[in-house]
Amino acid sequence: MPESTIKQPSADPTYPFRSESPVAREERKARFLGALKDILELDIYDRPLRMYLDTCARCNNCAEQCPVFKATGDVRDLPAWRSDLLRRVYRRYFTPSGRILGRLVGAKRLTAGDIDAMVEAFYRCTMCRRCGVHCPLAVDNALITRIGRVLLAEIGFVPKNITVSVAAQLGSGGNTSSIPKAAFLDTLDFLEEELADETGIQIPIPRDVEGAEYLFAAPVSDYIMEADTLLGIARVFHAAGASWTVGTEDFDAINYGLFYSDEKLEEILNRLLAEVKRLKCRTLVIGECGHATKAALLFHRVLGKPEYRDIRIESILQVTRRFLAEGRIAFTATEDRGPVTYHDPCNLGRGLGIYEEPRELLRAAGIGIVEMESNRGMSLCCGGGGGLVVAPDLEPWRMSVGGLKKAEQLRATGARVVVAPCANCKKQLRELVKHHKIEMEVAGLHDLVGRALKREEKA
Amino acid sequence: MEFIARVFPYLALGLFVLGTAVRFIRWRSLPAHVKWTLYPFPKDAAGQLKYMAGEIFTFGTLYHFNRRLWIGAYALHMAMGGFVLLFILYLAGWVPGTAVRLMLVILLAALVYLAALRSMDRYLRAVTTPEEFFNLLFLASFAVAALAASAVAASPRAYFLSLALLRPDAALLPQEFAPVIVLGGLFLVYLPWSRMIHYVSKYFAYHAIKWQKS
Repeated sequence: MPESTIKQPSADPTYPFRSESPVAREERKARFLGALKDILELDIYDRPLRMYLDTCARCNNCAEQCPVFKATGDVRDLPAWRSDLLRRVYRRYFTPSGRILGRLVGAKRLTAGDIDAMVEAFYRCTMCRRCGVHCPLAVDNALITRIGRVLLAEIGFVPKNITVSVAAQLGSGGNTSSIPKAAFLDTLDFLEEELADETGIQIPIPRDVEGAEYLFAAPVSDYIMEADTLLGIARVFHAAGASWTVGTEDFDAINYGLFYSDEKLEEILNRLLAEVKRLKCRTLVIGECGHATKAALLFHRVLGKPEYRDIRIESILQVTRRFLAEGRIAFTATEDRGPVTYHDPCNLGRGLGIYEEPRELLRAAGIGIVEMESNRGMSLCCGGGGGLVVAPDLEPWRMSVGGLKKAEQLRATGARVVVAPCANCKKQLRELVKHHKIEMEVAGLHDLVGRALKREEKA
Repeated sequence: MEFIARVFPYLALGLFVLGTAVRFIRWRSLPAHVKWTLYPFPKDAAGQLKYMAGEIFTFGTLYHFNRRLWIGAYALHMAMGGFVLLFILYLAGWVPGTAVRLMLVILLAALVYLAALRSMDRYLRAVTTPEEFFNLLFLASFAVAALAASAVAASPRAYFLSLALLRPDAALLPQEFAPVIVLGGLFLVYLPWSRMIHYVSKYFAYHAIKWQKS
């Protein structure tokens, strides 16, 4: 096994992703501490959060796993250092030892400067959770990052790109891309035409079908940028003879609340669940999107309204995999596009344990995978996780820091195609391969799976 | 002296057990509304036991990813465990006092090594708080006191045997060992309330969070 390879040259620590708070500087401290008190007393993370705030061996094992730190070698990117920004405040104000012994036990009074440091530090973390895999004490720094962001949001610090998207989704637009309903319906018509052109048969994309088994919700950006993924998914549903529909009142699965606010997460999630109820569907199927799937699957029994908790939630990967197992879909030989590699989205993999379903589907479709050097539980983040991909301003940082190790890993596979069943990962990976001049196509899983389907016209 | 020899050791042990129990119960009583599982994880008891055994007896993750720290941390923990075990065997008359002293020497060496590493390594220094140094110093002071006492004083075996048999006799305690008892006792009282509580927290962090099943 390798010795510690922590010593890395600094890459490009320039980080332009800053947000401004409307809250006066002198008010921030009190509000921050009040919000932390509320979270500790009332919130839903009691056990994990307390455990992670109470314990850390300060061994820096986490640093070895962090792609951001490995790229910069900057002390500020040490996961333990970042978490300590919050941990020391917790210790000072919420533990007896911290109140009495102060710095001796790693406690520190909160200052406006600390808050400034957190604003940057918690948005330099992609929340990929890789650092938690080999922590001897099983501390998950991503949760501390998330809580740190929730606290910062309480005092007005949220990156503008995220707030704009969330405002659009929760406002009259109803989705993060502000696509009007009429335009959405036009897009569905267009997709149906594409399906007819590709397959030679009519494959409908059902809308507002009451009582359908599955309500399908994709990240709305797929309707703009990932048509092939949606076409593949429609072909799968059609080939399986499934009863499915898309809702036209709320059709955006994106939930950026996952990155900074339980309140927003809850509101967005419940809107989507309301659409499932409106159409009397039994199962909500989330499209190829890691964070949206995790937000729905992990939180719906906690933050979903009681009347929505009987709704079943699945990833489209799980559904397609089940159709295959049940013999409802089958594959024929696919065109050879050259070596294919698979990128494990962090939220689907480490967050939900969806590792083998996509691989089984690709294998069944006759697509061999060249695995990346570290994969599954040790997969590297694409570099755009934690909502960072939303910010165009951050692209240089995502290319030279956040995604640097991923780019090296992609190149090393020699693959011509990288499959990533996540809208955010795909966006980041496309930018990465272009920036690093890697000859590689980025595709969704259903892009390939859909094309490999057999005899779908008989379904 | 009477208090140190006859009361304090039991008081310290009692406070250690109580402190550990309080921390255990507090963590256990915390609800876990949101499942914060990290996949993949060993699903069956045998797999979890194997992983945990590897972690506890070899410090496997540290060994793989942070070898320099592993050297000190592993030596420290094994020396602590070895000290307790050999001390019991020493009381039973099965090993000589030299074996116990050897553990203290290893412990002291590990502590010095860790303090030096945390001071010199840029990244470790960045995440090390005064508490880590205090903990190292605390343990080191105990080891130094014990080694110094054992070098000059008569054997304390008869006293510790009387203590173990719940018939503590202050007259049997060589005076040089009084600071050792005070430091050891204070360390026991302090342990559950320090970051070194990971001998308990590790159970919850793995079994009740990281490996939490649906």
